[in-house]
Amino acid sequence: MTPNSPPTHALIWLILGISLGALPHFSYQPIWVALIFIVMIGWRCMNIWRGWPLPSKQHRAMKWLHLSIAILSTVLLITSYGTLIGRDAGVALLTVMLGLKIVELRNYRDYYLSCFLGYFLVVTNFFYSQSMSTALLMFVVVAIMTTCLISLNDPKRLLSDRSRFKLASQMLLQAIPVMLLLFVFFPRVAGPLWGLPQDAYGAKTGLSNSMPLDNISQLIQSDEIAFRVKFKGDLPKKSAQYWRGPVLWHTDGTTWTALPHAKLAADTPRIKAVGTEYHYTTTLEPHNDHWLFALDFPQQLPVSPNSHFTQDGQLRSNRPIKQRQQYQLNSHAQFTFNSQTDLYLSDALQLPEQQHPRTKKLAQQWLAETQTPRELIQRALTHFNQQEFFYTLTPPILTGDGIDNFLFESRRGFCQHYAASFTILMRAAGIPTRVVTGYQGGEINPIDGFLVVRQRDAHAWTEVWLANEGWIRIDPTAAVANERIEEGMNTIMPLSMRSPLFIANSEKLANLWQSLRNNWEALDNRWNQWIISYGPKLQQEFLSKLGISPNWQSMVIWMISSVSILLLIISGFLFYQRQRQDPLARLYQTFCKRSGIERLPSEGPLDFAARIKLQHPQNHAEIDHITALYINLRYGKQAMEIIDLQRAIKQFQPNKTGST
Amino acid sequence: MAHADINHILKAINTIILGKPQIVKLALSCLLAKGHLLIEDVPGVGKTTLAHTLAKTLGLSFQRVQFTSDMLPADILGVSIFDRDSQQFSFHQGPIFTQLVLADEVNRATPRTQSALLEAMEERQVSIEGETYPLPQPFFVIATQNPSTQIGTFPLPESQLDRFLMRIEIGYPDAEAERALLLGEDRREMVQQLDAVVSSKQLITLQAAVSQIHVSAALTDYIQQLLAHTRDSGLFHFGLSPRAGLSLLHAAQAWAFIEGREQVIPEDVQAVLSNVINHRLQARDEQQNGHFIADMIAQVAIP
Repeated sequence: MTPNSPPTHALIWLILGISLGALPHFSYQPIWVALIFIVMIGWRCMNIWRGWPLPSKQHRAMKWLHLSIAILSTVLLITSYGTLIGRDAGVALLTVMLGLKIVELRNYRDYYLSCFLGYFLVVTNFFYSQSMSTALLMFVVVAIMTTCLISLNDPKRLLSDRSRFKLASQMLLQAIPVMLLLFVFFPRVAGPLWGLPQDAYGAKTGLSNSMPLDNISQLIQSDEIAFRVKFKGDLPKKSAQYWRGPVLWHTDGTTWTALPHAKLAADTPRIKAVGTEYHYTTTLEPHNDHWLFALDFPQQLPVSPNSHFTQDGQLRSNRPIKQRQQYQLNSHAQFTFNSQTDLYLSDALQLPEQQHPRTKKLAQQWLAETQTPRELIQRALTHFNQQEFFYTLTPPILTGDGIDNFLFESRRGFCQHYAASFTILMRAAGIPTRVVTGYQGGEINPIDGFLVVRQRDAHAWTEVWLANEGWIRIDPTAAVANERIEEGMNTIMPLSMRSPLFIANSEKLANLWQSLRNNWEALDNRWNQWIISYGPKLQQEFLSKLGISPNWQSMVIWMISSVSILLLIISGFLFYQRQRQDPLARLYQTFCKRSGIERLPSEGPLDFAARIKLQHPQNHAEIDHITALYINLRYGKQAMEIIDLQRAIKQFQPNKTGST
Repeated sequence: MAHADINHILKAINTIILGKPQIVKLALSCLLAKGHLLIEDVPGVGKTTLAHTLAKTLGLSFQRVQFTSDMLPADILGVSIFDRDSQQFSFHQGPIFTQLVLADEVNRATPRTQSALLEAMEERQVSIEGETYPLPQPFFVIATQNPSTQIGTFPLPESQLDRFLMRIEIGYPDAEAERALLLGEDRREMVQQLDAVVSSKQLITLQAAVSQIHVSAALTDYIQQLLAHTRDSGLFHFGLSPRAGLSLLHAAQAWAFIEGREQVIPEDVQAVLSNVINHRLQARDEQQNGHFIADMIAQVAIP
């Protein structure tokens, strides 16, 4: 190593920081990005430990190898992303290039550059996840990058690695007050401030506009949280917790789809509510679509986001939900829905032609046997209940005519099989029926009292329209598996589907897992409610409470002034500490300043005098005199007057006499 | 007056030990601070001569003990022997009962013998079979040690190194001094002919004067910050003890006295720092051992 090359310990900190910063990216980047990155890091590590050659003038071959890897990665990037711009491609480019840079770090400039790119890498992590764990990890990474900066400035290794890391962490902790002030006052604008590129919102799991017969089953595997609800006051009972999402009308025999939105948005339904009213606040996770899930059936639109009801009772936001969204609603558990007439009754009778012959025949048979629609509905439910129908999350694959096959042969399925076949039966018997999808049930987290609804609580049920009664909810699944509705999804899912495989064997471990997860999710929820959702709305509320008018001008003024005041207080404190030095020390400092030579902090008075005498030989006697006086005053036994020294230093003008 | 004595002593020693005024000054300041001295160097650079010269010029009785691996504590401390005439045990003093003991090649002896010596050094008395015999006043031990990389040695443990106020290395003489040595008389004979500059009584008054050298609050702050640096910087396995701090202070006082000052100034502390703390500290980074003093001085600001 040449004397000018930065110290190895800085390099190790840098490698550690960048690797940790890149780690979360690997989970969604193409595998070769991670591969190239790891190979590059490995190469550099082998250089440190085993002295493997790096690309340099002496090692031409390595240089060519390095260059070709760089070109290869650029080509790979362009082929897999089609561009180098945008969130995903940009972050992948940054990751790969940082890895490549690690191999050819030479001078201090390279190190500083990589360090600052490392900080940028930290920022890019928040493009993907703003969770608490990401924030914690990134805090550590920032501390490591800062340690690297400290190491670069400590080539002689005066501080141990531990104390350098400690120093970096201390600096970060000391920065927290400023961070908090910036957090509170930095003006938030509506929409994502950083203007995330278009590709920032990847696919999310969730319900969709259409339902093939086996779609929900994928959701059931997912532990992901769909939304959280905080009730003010009582909760409705579990069997009444139907969270309405997409309503599906049209079927081609296998897939169910919604009516065109323009058609549905033309009018709002007529709802008459009775019974208990429930007040609640929902925090919806982003799902890239428009539904705001609401307990059947909400009284009015939420204050925000801007939204509307469709004719079939969906509550839809005007913009897709790309960020976590909070809204307050009141719902009534009992209601009548379009009891007089409905615009789309004919759509509720649509049947695919030439399909489901056996189902249609059965419906015709029931129609002949029963007097009223109610009786017919009951007949169908009884059929599900009494015949050998089973509720299972892993049904056999349906062959041939799906509905016929299910109703007459396999008889094994979950909510959407029952909802779909029930709807076909009803429509074939002339009763207008539609499929409603959404969520049913959920779990109360005992830690913070939030009702947590997960993707696996996804559900499908039906609504039939009866004259004078309007749309009535019928849940055929309840006829088969009542506990799914009464107790929730948790009770019927085997342990192995609820928790990771290795702990599923033990009830105790599974329970422990459950309670750990509850705690973590409650903490995460608090983080979401207070930190992540501190957007324009919360900021305005909060600042208004503090008596600050919440426009951005005053926020900027408050931000700048509060940070300046904070810094002023700190510098005032430091200045005060300096001033507390006794007058003697200050007097001596004046002397040192006048000499025109900087005194090293560790330089004693005699050593310093010897040094300035070289510079000012004509002031020899004077310097000795002042130094002797100072030594006596500062280190001597008798308490002496400071005046002599003051006078002597006043007369000490070496630069003036020197120039004349 | 006292300072004139000091100059005479230094002058006398420097006629024998050529080209090493700094080392001589350090050795003298160690004795003035009532501390024991450890000289560590390869054989033949004048360790014994230095010790002998110091004894002579300071008017001290002198004994030399060559340590060997078969030596027993009694060989140093002395034994009680039954006297047939008086029908009693009588104590025969060992070589340690002298004012200046040169413990030559102390790392050749077994740990047991070493600790007998070191205990006597600390207590300034010898206890044998329940009887306590005080050692003469003043009492010094100058131990010499070969670099412990040599074969057949028992290096002194760290806890016992702490008993020595200073550790010095003499080093090879420079070219001019070496020429003078080669041409000059036999150093041993010269030492024998040397006259005492002060008596041992006068030495005790000099020691008393050293402890009167003024130590200001600003200076204790400085010493404390040096100590704190060894503890907080994380560079060392263990920081310096308060006893090491006291040693540093006494050595600095003695140095200031030799320099003719009435008060200790930071330069005095810096002058003795390396020799007082080097053998008490172990750097975490092995390579740093022995090189950290300059960095340490540069790191700690003088308050």
